[in-house]
Amino acid sequence: MSKFLKLLYNELHKLYIRKSTWVMYIILAAIVIGGAVLMTIFDDNTVESEYSENWRAELQAENDEIEQSLQENNNEFMIDMNMSNVEKNNYHLDNDIKPLNYGGWQYTYENAGLSMLIGLFVIIVGAGIVASEFNWGTIKLLLIRPISRSMILFTKFAAVLTFALITLVFLFLLNLAVGGIFFGLEGANPHIVIQKADGFVHASLFGEIMTSYGYDMVNLVMLTALAFMISTIFRNSSLAIGIGIFLLMGGNIVVQALSQYDFSKYILFANTNLKQYETGNVFMEGMTLGFSVTVLIVYFVLFMVLSWAFFTKRDVAGQ
Amino acid sequence: MNEIALELKDVKKTISNKEIIKGLNFQIKPGEVYGFIGPNGAGKTTTIRMMVGLMNLTEGDVKILGKSIQSEYKEAARNIGAIVENPELYSFMTGWQNLMHFARMYEGITKERIREVVSLVGLDNVINDKVKKYSLGMRQRLGVAQAILHKPAVLILDEPTNGLDPAGIREIRDYIRRLAEEDQVAVVISSHLLSEIELMCDRIGIIKHGEIISERYVNEESDQDDAQSDVKVIFDVGQADEAIKVLEDRDIEVKRESDKLVTEINRQEIPNIVQTMVNQNISVFGVTPIKATLEDQFLELTGGNVIE
Repeated sequence: MSKFLKLLYNELHKLYIRKSTWVMYIILAAIVIGGAVLMTIFDDNTVESEYSENWRAELQAENDEIEQSLQENNNEFMIDMNMSNVEKNNYHLDNDIKPLNYGGWQYTYENAGLSMLIGLFVIIVGAGIVASEFNWGTIKLLLIRPISRSMILFTKFAAVLTFALITLVFLFLLNLAVGGIFFGLEGANPHIVIQKADGFVHASLFGEIMTSYGYDMVNLVMLTALAFMISTIFRNSSLAIGIGIFLLMGGNIVVQALSQYDFSKYILFANTNLKQYETGNVFMEGMTLGFSVTVLIVYFVLFMVLSWAFFTKRDVAGQ
Repeated sequence: MNEIALELKDVKKTISNKEIIKGLNFQIKPGEVYGFIGPNGAGKTTTIRMMVGLMNLTEGDVKILGKSIQSEYKEAARNIGAIVENPELYSFMTGWQNLMHFARMYEGITKERIREVVSLVGLDNVINDKVKKYSLGMRQRLGVAQAILHKPAVLILDEPTNGLDPAGIREIRDYIRRLAEEDQVAVVISSHLLSEIELMCDRIGIIKHGEIISERYVNEESDQDDAQSDVKVIFDVGQADEAIKVLEDRDIEVKRESDKLVTEINRQEIPNIVQTMVNQNISVFGVTPIKATLEDQFLELTGGNVIE
């Protein structure tokens, strides 16, 4: 094994040997399984709507039913929602695509938002991975080895990203397995009709899930870098977790509150959501994907350089 | 083998404009055990932290087998094993997992080597228990184990006998001496336990206010005994008054404490005096030369445990 892999193994070993890490996986499992149980019990509509060979007639009947109920009810929200259902059904009919029965893939797609929770876990891990060594006093035994401090810091950050990736894969496989057991699978690579910025498209569910995870990963990596930096500079995991979670939950609100000012487009959280360029709902006029990516890279480099500067130059003194 | 294992060259450390270490210079040869003592706040731990690269040096240099801890860190660190302050290990891992963890940070440490070290420090029976279940003494042994895994040329131990029972202290002491004598390891030990240091070390440096104020070889003491200088001798006799006369006949000043007579005389004179006393039928129950212990010297030199 190369030196880097041995060090990475060390960090992951220290991470996964602790119960607090397993609790995170248990929470994820509980939510995914619990969600499937609740759907089975309460959401008969989604789970049991099965389309037979005769699906064209069934969709038409659905549309008729919706239009009829709309004439009785004039609530604007209901109209919008139902009309999009009608349009979706029409898209199926126009393009001769049979609607997909509900199953594990769609369950996974619906649960893609859980990566937000992973974001929370990754912040906790990233905030602890340097600060804990100081709290335990083990930093002294770690930094007297024939390995540069830069290398140790780098492997620690790599360990956090590996943790994020493992957890994301775990979430994906767990969703697919639980969804498959509860609702059956729709096939190897099912496609689904989804509404996008420029109308409906027939897209691969796997691709959509990966895209969704991918966009969330951007946010996740940036917050990890931030928590990691705070943890490294202040050697205090609570502070790093606190700030990390606050920004994870409230970053968008802060940015919205400042959106009247032009400088707000340079704030990290105005740029972490790259999905805005796909949906067209851009935070501020004139922002482009290139602009956001540049801003993100600048922030990322800044976080890393600050962490590195503090970690490698610091005197490790007594507690 | 390099002639000098560890060298400190005019090492200075300034923290927030206060000069904590004011220029330390010493060299330690392979196989030598160097004791580093001083009152709390004298700068022992700061010096040790600089030796192992945990702290930056403000001035000067530390060299391990000729490699600078500053400019050739990896080469220097490869030859250092250390416990800095308490041996804080990963409490949620077993002793074995801790050793494996640190072994992965070097090249070429085999499982056989780890097993060998485990039995050396006597942890065979508990090596698969979690460290949080260990007593302080067991942690101290595990601390020593991680410090010697990679067969360092220089071993730096901060309070190595802290928390050990007398048998454990003896074992560690014997082990340190063996490392020094058989494997030619240079050992630096800091401690408050002065009697311990005296038993373990070849040479002792006393540090106060960031300066070495006294340095001496431990076996210098016996040389001194043979020299012409006076030593404190206590005579325990039956007939004190007559005995005082014997001594005063020889122009020796005597202080009387009940039946014990305290004198300062040349060692060479003792047999002669005893013979005279016996000839005069004075019962001599005991003659005790009092060596000034290191502790007395330590307190004398450092002026007690005062932090300035």
